Amino acid sequence: MTVMRDKVVKALVELEVRGDENGLMPGYNVLVNFLPTSFWNTFAERMLNAAPADKKDQVRAGLYQCAQECGYHTGWGIINSDEFQSVVMPMVTEGAKDVLRGAFAVFTAWGWAKSGVVQIKDSERMVIRAQDYYEQDIKSTNEKMGFMVKAVSGAFFDLAFGAKYPDGLGTFVCEQTKGIEVGDEFGEFVVTKK
Amino acid sequence: MSIPFEIKFDENTYRHHVEGVTMVMHCHHYMSLTTKLADSLEDMGGVKILRESAEDAIRELLDAYFKAHNISGSGERLNTGREMYSVLGLGKLEVFGNDGGGEVKVLRSHVDEGWVQKFGKSSKFVNHFTCGYLAAMFAAAFGRPARSFNVYETASLAMGEPEGKIIVKAN
Repeated sequence: MTVMRDKVVKALVELEVRGDENGLMPGYNVLVNFLPTSFWNTFAERMLNAAPADKKDQVRAGLYQCAQECGYHTGWGIINSDEFQSVVMPMVTEGAKDVLRGAFAVFTAWGWAKSGVVQIKDSERMVIRAQDYYEQDIKSTNEKMGFMVKAVSGAFFDLAFGAKYPDGLGTFVCEQTKGIEVGDEFGEFVVTKK
Repeated sequence: MSIPFEIKFDENTYRHHVEGVTMVMHCHHYMSLTTKLADSLEDMGGVKILRESAEDAIRELLDAYFKAHNISGSGERLNTGREMYSVLGLGKLEVFGNDGGGEVKVLRSHVDEGWVQKFGKSSKFVNHFTCGYLAAMFAAAFGRPARSFNVYETASLAMGEPEGKIIVKAN
């Protein structure tokens, strides 16, 4: 048996999302927030649009780094959580590949992207496709804007095939090769060794 | 008692919605690094962009929520905005104010406490997100357009003080 995304999503999406008595949401080894996607999208869009030509790459790198560290640390929390152990691990029969598939199912359940793994070559390469991701709503920059899906894909591969946590961050890098926001049918993200 | 809060899951797109507004979960690493990115690009208005992005996004959510739940009084709207802040995992506030502005105590904070967890104590104010949130909350409560309130921190949990303090002033 391999990890079935839809089954995992349905199980995890029913978890309660709400601040505790302190207004905080500790979980998955991090503090979680639940915000309108328009905040993250508007910030990325306005930063890129405001940046002069010589600073645009700095903004792009910054947006990538924000999501990369988020994906690495939260991804670690996810795959070590009770929820992951109870919902995903019983379906895991192919080791790291299935753990990655499970992590992408959680990624989907959190509202990051309707995405899945289409190709994995252990320790070398992974291809992700997303049929829907909230960053596709950014249109005005006229460039691929899937920083979150891109960087988190790289970070998840770091967790699966990089050095032991927390030393493996940045072992792999991800490029976005297709984007709904630039007119493609789906988003595509390719992870390779840095 | 906290406010009702229903999340609808779209089984086609797999997106989450609250009163028609698309929502997403993120962590303190993402918020802290986003705040740091805005600070590092202050020469091109990074902090202002972060605050205004927060103000515009939260305004959309609060307006949708007030309409769906038929909340029309200014006091009730301020209280709902305060409760919403906690429901979203952003922390715990005490709010005092009127249409001229107000004072907000930050008792717990996702932004400040997340910053300290990630980077340690800060040497400057970092809670730009909450400043934008409060600008939206006061404007939505009193039926004013965006950018009607100036909001600034005077005390900060991230800087090691026992509680944060944020001042809101009408333009």
